[in-house]
Amino acid sequence: MGDFENSHVDLAVTSSSYTWLRLLGTWQTQIRDTHQRASLLSFWELIPMRAEPLRKKKKVDPKKDQAVKDRLKKRIRRLEKASQELIPIEDFITPVKFLDEARHRPHMELLFEEGERRALLLKKWSLYKQREHEMERDATRSMLEAQQEALQELRLTSPELHEAATKRDPSLFPFERKGPDYTPPVSNYQPPEGRYHDITKVYTQVEFKR
Amino acid sequence: MAAPVRRPLLGVARDWRRFEGLWASGLGSRSLALAAAPSSSGSPWRLLGALCLQRPPLVSKPLTPLQEEMAALLQQVEIERSLYSDHELRALSEAQRLAKKKADPYDEEDDERKILLVQDLEDAWEQKFLQFKPGARITADKKNDRTSLQRKLDRNLVLLVKEKLGDQDVWVLPQAEWQPGETLRGTAERTLATLSENNMEAKFLGNAPCGHYKFKFPQAMRTESILGAKVFFFKALLLTGDVSQARKKDSHVWVSKEELGDYLKPKYLAQVRRFLLDL
Repeated sequence: MGDFENSHVDLAVTSSSYTWLRLLGTWQTQIRDTHQRASLLSFWELIPMRAEPLRKKKKVDPKKDQAVKDRLKKRIRRLEKASQELIPIEDFITPVKFLDEARHRPHMELLFEEGERRALLLKKWSLYKQREHEMERDATRSMLEAQQEALQELRLTSPELHEAATKRDPSLFPFERKGPDYTPPVSNYQPPEGRYHDITKVYTQVEFKR
Repeated sequence: MAAPVRRPLLGVARDWRRFEGLWASGLGSRSLALAAAPSSSGSPWRLLGALCLQRPPLVSKPLTPLQEEMAALLQQVEIERSLYSDHELRALSEAQRLAKKKADPYDEEDDERKILLVQDLEDAWEQKFLQFKPGARITADKKNDRTSLQRKLDRNLVLLVKEKLGDQDVWVLPQAEWQPGETLRGTAERTLATLSENNMEAKFLGNAPCGHYKFKFPQAMRTESILGAKVFFFKALLLTGDVSQARKKDSHVWVSKEELGDYLKPKYLAQVRRFLLDL
């Protein structure tokens, strides 16, 4: 213990001398910042009795916030997804105006001769189609045979050329071609003037990623 | 001859086995040269790549009588099974109204305004249809010009050219000699380019040939090493363009499958007919 300057404060201490020393030590540090303290005489303010080791800033906090936000978003998305309507297939929905009774044709009884004629025609047609199918099948088979023989001949002639011939041709597909119409295209055709208003109904369904 | 060596000298082993296979096949008339190079340098057959260029049909074929009957029957059945359309309902109601008006002519007086009858509408539509002039289905057939591309719009047409074989003129599908370094399809493409001077565009249907023809040259043309030629045909569909006008007048012709017989030799024709689809 030594002499202290500016010791106008009377410290009432009842613990051991060591505590007295500590308190006196803290008292000296408290004197340093007297200009900052609110009340110079309060005792409990001098002693930081509630001190804890300093808390570190937790890095998990932003992650937790993010997780909470995600959960909310997921719930919102699920609600929106559930309230979506299915895209209607317009072909399967009969328009109401066709359910009218007045639209039905009167039922005509088929004459006997007409029925016979139809049956005979259907039989002739099925025979014709069978013959046509057989012709197509034979033509396809002969084309394939000719190609196989050509490839065989090519293999005997030159294996490299055969290899080049049996490679896939990537430029073959996609292959688009318009089929034959009833009349050929007119060379100097003038299409009618006017604007094209597209009134097809477009339904959208939002894709939700998981 | 040494048996093929069963060691990983794959190149040599393969060549030897290949030549055993060649001897075993019944090509007895050839004199094989024992070389492991592609046969064009050693064998007596020249390689030619030919082009089967087809112009697809622009117009559908006319219906046969049976087809027409069937089409009419199907249309009739469809009408019988259908409901009345708006136009037909309108016609029915107008017919009823006219009948009622005839019965008591002074009953209703609401025809001060002009009512458009169904008959008037139909007449107007008929007039509009008659004003449209569609393209003619039969064009160059009238002149029977076989070099024109516009003939026989409903059939597949194949291009034939006249070539000199020895001292004879022969009608063949356009062909060219194979040059080492290109595939046979490349030869066919070269033929196309020389024929049309790069005017024609065609879609080749794959890398593989569709047919082949092997023939021996006439005695005048045979040399010690060349006995004949092998021709491999490649199919292509004509998209745009025509044969160049620089060619002589009678040296090319577009024919359908029946007319091939007028031009091609019998054996050649037999081979070509196998891979041409008869529409």
